[in-house]
Amino acid sequence: MVEDFGETAASNGGDATRFCLTLMAEPLELSWHHCGVTSDFLGEYFSRSCGRSIDAVDARHSISYMINEILENAIKFRHGGDIEIRSSLEGETFEIQIVNRVDPDTADKFQAHLKGLLEREPGDLLLERIEENALNPDSSGSGLGLLTLMSDYGAKLGWSFASERVSEGLELTTYASLRLS
Amino acid sequence: MEISTNDYRVWTESSTIHYEGTMRLSGTDAYAPILEIMHAVLEAKPELITLDLTSLEFLNSSGINLLAKFTIEIRKQPEVGVRVLGSKSIPWQSKSLRNLQRLHPALELTIS
Repeated sequence: MVEDFGETAASNGGDATRFCLTLMAEPLELSWHHCGVTSDFLGEYFSRSCGRSIDAVDARHSISYMINEILENAIKFRHGGDIEIRSSLEGETFEIQIVNRVDPDTADKFQAHLKGLLEREPGDLLLERIEENALNPDSSGSGLGLLTLMSDYGAKLGWSFASERVSEGLELTTYASLRLS
Repeated sequence: MEISTNDYRVWTESSTIHYEGTMRLSGTDAYAPILEIMHAVLEAKPELITLDLTSLEFLNSSGINLLAKFTIEIRKQPEVGVRVLGSKSIPWQSKSLRNLQRLHPALELTIS
């Protein structure tokens, strides 16, 4: 069974510049550090493929921020296994799909969170979440990654949960796209 | 006071807090020592606190949460003013720092 949330359609076609890589769970011992080096590398790679009409400094940063935030979530919430990153650029549209495995309990909690996230204006939700975080000093995560992407970067995000593609848990594909300018 | 690593450096000079480098720490707990330095400046109740971000190239969302949380703490103390200095050449600052002003309209934001 596949359950989709948000925008899960990819628009980049056959003419897109593409780069795919897999962060292997073994023997790499995937860790927090890999988010930064991977996102910086892909930001640099795609900013060099941009057309002249696109601000390469802004593109490098925006791509790097987006991949870093989604990878941080994948590292934090994955249920073992590799993390696959498929990225593409066509014209002004940069797209990524990040695939990792999650356990059923994490998937349930995340789906409930996504329903709330998709119902409201992200800028308002961002400020609400910041105020809530300030009142809860014990909460370890900020929950601002997806909200800043939607509110500050205008990113389109989607999530697809597939329960039959992996032997244990669910396969989560996070879709994200940015319009570079 | 100063915290310095290979990736970033945070230090204070009177009531100015300087940030430099790339900060991608893993969450609220990891940012706690930095928040401690910031609190020490606020505890002295200066007239104006300056957050100098002009050399902070990258900040992840947990770090944005740190700045937002501190802004709310300053907001609770109307006698303490706050000024945030950013750079136009660092893209995240033009995109995300305006949220601090939405949280605390008296905050003075200069991105130059």
